[in-house]
Amino acid sequence: MFSLMANCCSWLKRWQEPVRKVTLIMVGLDNAGKTATVRGIQGESPEDVAPTVGFSKIDLKQGRFEVTIFDLGGGKRIRNIWRNYYAESYGVIFVVDSSDIARMEETKQAMIEVLNSPKISGKPVLVLANKQDREGALSEADVIESLSLEKLVNEHKCLCQIEPCSAIMGCGKKIDKSIKKGLYWLLHIIAKDFDALNERIQRDTTEQKAYEEQKKLERAERVRRIREERGSRTSDLLLPFKALYHQQPTMLPIRD
Amino acid sequence: MISLEVRILLLGLDNAGKTTLLKQLASEDISHITPTQGFNIKSVQSQGFKLNVWDIGGQRKIRPYWRNYFENTDILIYVIDSADRKRFEETGQELAELLDEEKLSGVPVLIFANKQDLLTAAPASEIAEGLNLHTIRDRVWQIQSCSALSGEGVQVRLWRRLAVPAGHL
Repeated sequence: MFSLMANCCSWLKRWQEPVRKVTLIMVGLDNAGKTATVRGIQGESPEDVAPTVGFSKIDLKQGRFEVTIFDLGGGKRIRNIWRNYYAESYGVIFVVDSSDIARMEETKQAMIEVLNSPKISGKPVLVLANKQDREGALSEADVIESLSLEKLVNEHKCLCQIEPCSAIMGCGKKIDKSIKKGLYWLLHIIAKDFDALNERIQRDTTEQKAYEEQKKLERAERVRRIREERGSRTSDLLLPFKALYHQQPTMLPIRD
Repeated sequence: MISLEVRILLLGLDNAGKTTLLKQLASEDISHITPTQGFNIKSVQSQGFKLNVWDIGGQRKIRPYWRNYFENTDILIYVIDSADRKRFEETGQELAELLDEEKLSGVPVLIFANKQDLLTAAPASEIAEGLNLHTIRDRVWQIQSCSALSGEGVQVRLWRRLAVPAGHL
């Protein structure tokens, strides 16, 4: 009876907890399996995925968490955009192609760059050692060694968990359990120290937004000036054609 | 097989290469293309998909008419000249104004980074930051490198695949 009451109490306590909005970023080299992982989590087929050269996101509910995962392109020519998402992320999911031994050094460099950022240091990192279904894939221990993971996460005070997995194994309820386990771990760590983490993220994002807003205004002003200059130029040169310019658009059929 | 119709809107500044891209898609001759005053439309079928692509003229004076075509758009393809860095700000501003439009809210954006055959073409991350794509949070965006001139990166098969993450299929 007593335990039943205790159960009820803890349930009530959990029920009273506010919904927490958490943003995670999923990064890693191109072809590591980020989009496949995200699609698996979402319950979609993780096969036949085109390379992401940009940004997509998924939303999911996990207990009292509303989780948003940003899936960011990993190719060499797009990787530089990652830094724009650091401020708002509560944690990092780093996906590694464990079977691509030739690119381990590049993976390591990419990871160093992420953890080196002051906006990321101290935040929890989940490493998914993906493609374990492939022959010759490095084991958990070997991935740790080739990335010097231990040293790296200690240096930057990031709590870290590594999960060997296979993103293409299934989706939705049939998703590789290691991916789920990893995600639980990450959310658990975030929950443990939520208030401090949340405060840091609010501060960093406010700062970044103010900066972006400022840039946006400056840019709008520059573009306005360019347009104005060009407008006055064309009005002199193309005076005889001006009537034409104004007529032509009216010929466009308007959809209703 | 059920044919899924997808309405694609092709926009971008003048001289970005929208019409060339459209003609390549339809495997038509691209040697005599003049600035588009009105619009061009092509329908292309591919593996159960019917892509209806609308290409609207990009000159400054006719850009206000873009809005007549916003309704029911499934995918916005925004074409840019990857080598024309001087105009990144202008094209980014034009795109930002498009994304603020209610009728295009949540519509996925594909940036066709055209003229990648030129040596001076900017890499994807520079385009993303130049066009301020990295501040977008409310929709999927993706950069597709291509050369409308050589036809690289504009195959129908590819368009279909790009439509998948955009929420179709």
